[in-house]
Amino acid sequence: MIEYDESVHGELQLDSDLGVKVIGVGGAGANILDRMALEGSDVAELLAVNTDVRALKNSVSSEKIQLGSTLLKGMGTGGDPALGKQAALEAVDGIREAVRGAGMVFVCVGLGGGTGSGAAPEICRIAKEEGVFLVVFATLPFSFEGQRRMDQAEKSLGTIGRYADAVITFDNDRMGELIVPKDGVTQAFAAADKIISQSIRATMNIVFRPGIIHIGMDDLLAALESRNSRCLFGYGVSKGDNRSHEAVEQAMKCPLLDRGKLLSEAKAVLVQVSGGDNMTLFEVQMVMEEVSKHVGSETQILFGTGTDKRLGSALAVTIISSVPGPAVSSVGDEGEAETISSPVSLGMSADEAVAPVATIKLPESKPEPEEITKKASAPAMEQVDLPAAVESVDDFEDMTAPIGEGLGDDTVEEDETLVFEPLDDDDEEEPAYAPVFESDEEPAEVSDGRNPIARAIEDSQVADTGSIAPIQPADLDPAEEDDAGHVEAVTESSQKITLTRVVGSGNTGRIKTRSPGDGDSRGPVMPPTKPPATPPENLEEDDEIPDDVKQQQELLQLEPVKSKGRFAKTDPTIVDGEDLDVPTFLRKNK
Amino acid sequence: MSSSNIYVGLEIGTSKVCLVVGEVRSDGAIKILGVGQHPSAGVRKGEVVDSETVQTCLHDALSRAEERSDVEINTVFLAVTGSHIESLNNRGTIRVADEQMEITPEDLEEVKKIARDVPIPKENGYVHSIIQHYYVDGQEKVLNPLGMVGQKIEADYHIIHGTKTRIQNAIKCVREVPLEVEDIVFSPVAAAQVVLNREAKNEGALLLDIGGGTTDYVCFVDGAVVASGCVAIGGDHITNDIALVLKIPLSRAEKLKVAHGSASLKNIAHGEISIEGESGKTVEQELLNQIMNARATELLTVISEPLRKQGVLDKLGKGIFLTGGSSLMKGIGDVTSDIFGVPVQESDSAAMSGPAALFENPQYATPVGLIRYAQLLDEQRPKKGALSKLGQRFEKILGGKR
Repeated sequence: MIEYDESVHGELQLDSDLGVKVIGVGGAGANILDRMALEGSDVAELLAVNTDVRALKNSVSSEKIQLGSTLLKGMGTGGDPALGKQAALEAVDGIREAVRGAGMVFVCVGLGGGTGSGAAPEICRIAKEEGVFLVVFATLPFSFEGQRRMDQAEKSLGTIGRYADAVITFDNDRMGELIVPKDGVTQAFAAADKIISQSIRATMNIVFRPGIIHIGMDDLLAALESRNSRCLFGYGVSKGDNRSHEAVEQAMKCPLLDRGKLLSEAKAVLVQVSGGDNMTLFEVQMVMEEVSKHVGSETQILFGTGTDKRLGSALAVTIISSVPGPAVSSVGDEGEAETISSPVSLGMSADEAVAPVATIKLPESKPEPEEITKKASAPAMEQVDLPAAVESVDDFEDMTAPIGEGLGDDTVEEDETLVFEPLDDDDEEEPAYAPVFESDEEPAEVSDGRNPIARAIEDSQVADTGSIAPIQPADLDPAEEDDAGHVEAVTESSQKITLTRVVGSGNTGRIKTRSPGDGDSRGPVMPPTKPPATPPENLEEDDEIPDDVKQQQELLQLEPVKSKGRFAKTDPTIVDGEDLDVPTFLRKNK
Repeated sequence: MSSSNIYVGLEIGTSKVCLVVGEVRSDGAIKILGVGQHPSAGVRKGEVVDSETVQTCLHDALSRAEERSDVEINTVFLAVTGSHIESLNNRGTIRVADEQMEITPEDLEEVKKIARDVPIPKENGYVHSIIQHYYVDGQEKVLNPLGMVGQKIEADYHIIHGTKTRIQNAIKCVREVPLEVEDIVFSPVAAAQVVLNREAKNEGALLLDIGGGTTDYVCFVDGAVVASGCVAIGGDHITNDIALVLKIPLSRAEKLKVAHGSASLKNIAHGEISIEGESGKTVEQELLNQIMNARATELLTVISEPLRKQGVLDKLGKGIFLTGGSSLMKGIGDVTSDIFGVPVQESDSAAMSGPAALFENPQYATPVGLIRYAQLLDEQRPKKGALSKLGQRFEKILGGKR
């Protein structure tokens, strides 16, 4: 028998070389930290960061940093992200000190308010500059909190997306649906905090706990691969004879997994099975069999297992994945678009070498992205050959080329951009974006958004599930997407948990939609650095989709009335998109 | 009473409501005591859309059945169908506790529970969970693992599920008549009880029940159900197609279909058929057949594709059995065997006494099958079941007198 040092292998090695720090920013962040602390402490150090000194005092976390002690004198920001940002800049040294030396930093933040939206991006930037692996868990405000907070949240999220290795967003609207609506507000928020803290803990455990079959950061990132997607997360622990089955069952019951249904759409699923010393191979096998029932045949299963003495006779199953699904309207978008517009930030997370460049360039585009980019881009638009612009692009090419092939492709596009640019003017940009917005949102929602909602609502035993479900596809007027007043559209577009990942392959992702509010500022921002080559590409794709949708709608609504005869008023029988109630003879002979 | 049981099968079909009263004798043979049926209205694609109208039809059929069989009908077995019904196969695995020697009924319940635990839509409920095979410690196809010694039990289940509310609507409709629904059975599962004998089930057979509004199917391989489902297309669609293409009323289209139509394109007698009641209007036999063939081909393709993918079509030793009213359509057998690439059998009914001739008609396969299904259920249930049933009946009689 080969002996090995249990103490090295069996214990967490966090303290030694890879420290984990969980930073809670603002009020919501502090709540999540408190929840984590409540649920038993892990090795991670908890750091609360806030502007409001009273709130900070109440936090149970071990470390605390007060932001803007001179600027705000211990008061809150009053919901102003600009103040939050200034406050964070004041405390920049403290924050830098705190994250320095950590291997992995989790930032928990509730976006929408002043401190969260303003300070979190700064903290992320600092953390990134310190070269840590950064995962951000962000909650988006309830839709009833108003469009302004939503805009603030999204803007901030865009910026965060540039720095973080992974961004997992939880939508409060969705969180609300996870529990019975009549439950107290406290419970609603507690449930949200609990899910987030569980996610953080599971992520930490998976990556840092030693395993017989180890799961590394790379596996985790692969599981969270798709950009702008819903994060699926499930965790279950069970004891007893049939613990393997029960643990999977419990994990599947986690609200984000939706009883495993969404797993079938995932490209990669990470499954970690851990148990005490008495965990048998058979049990692991059973877990994997159960899980594989839920995933598609194409899905890559990233599997890890390990023993953990702390679990005793229990067995724990963690499932993490993401589905390319409905993203919050402009989550990735700002991040991505700006990623491209400031070439510097592109490779950041992928390559350390880029980081220094990033630090130099970033301050430029940091405060109030709108204005800055406007300033920066205005000249670039008039004179394309502005040396600075070209240089930066060159820099970018040099840097990104070795990073990945995917990026290589994009650089080619960037080249085209330069040639192309002068032809484009604002007027063309604007309408060009509109269709992208519609189409990107609509199909996604029809397919993905509706069911979970309907189910969630059913969960909460609201009687009118039926009425909601059928209405939506028809009601989904793309134009109304922007309309905050439109309840269905809002709940839909805001209900998902999205995940943005900014890694090496970052800018190969599609340029996503943007929220209409930003449209004005974006127009001028786009031309100088953003490749027009890409938007047209998207346009083609996206133009097709609405067409399809239209066609389908026609097929559903108009044709049948004409030629379905006695079946005109029945439930349509649709197979492969064809309405089989229409005489086959007529369909085939068309 | 103690040696025989009377069961009533009820099918609310798209074209007819049919009640069959049958007596299961102690030797297992079924005697049909009476039948009541009525053309149905308010049913579309196998599902109740107008409860009141259906109840009127049901009342009518009920009184006829009671009259003919001289039995007071209180409870029925109800056949359900509809496009919402789906099926899947799933395997459950459990490990028997180490200290335990033999496999107990509780273990089997547990494994069933696990096998049933598949992600079906929230709004759906289970209609059937049919055991296919057990595996004990890897030993394949154990029929009855009770009492065996083993550590790991696996069970393959075929699970049929459908939208709860839509099934409840059918049950509610029947209860308001009032009739008590003893159990619901997915139509083809019931029909298979009479159309397919044990041999066919073991050698592999596909039952296609082409009804008025739906086509239901169930596929047996090695004595176990491996696939089942429902496509909401049936004979009504063919009539509808004819009516729409030829622009004639539905009633005439139906007559045309029954009298002259064929789903096959082979051996078409060229010529013109005059349409009854439409003076001077004629239709070419070829066109009529093309309309019907197009529909039949499409319908059968929709069913055959998933089965082919599942790989069960190669295992149908006994071929395909057609039943349901629309299986009387000319040429449907040819088209079916062409599309599935499997021979089609003429269905013959199982051993049955009484006015049997009637029940060789494939239109009655489902309600008669319900009776057999009831019989099988009773056999599976130990004596206790029969006793409690007696008790129930007493209760009902007493309750009725009060």
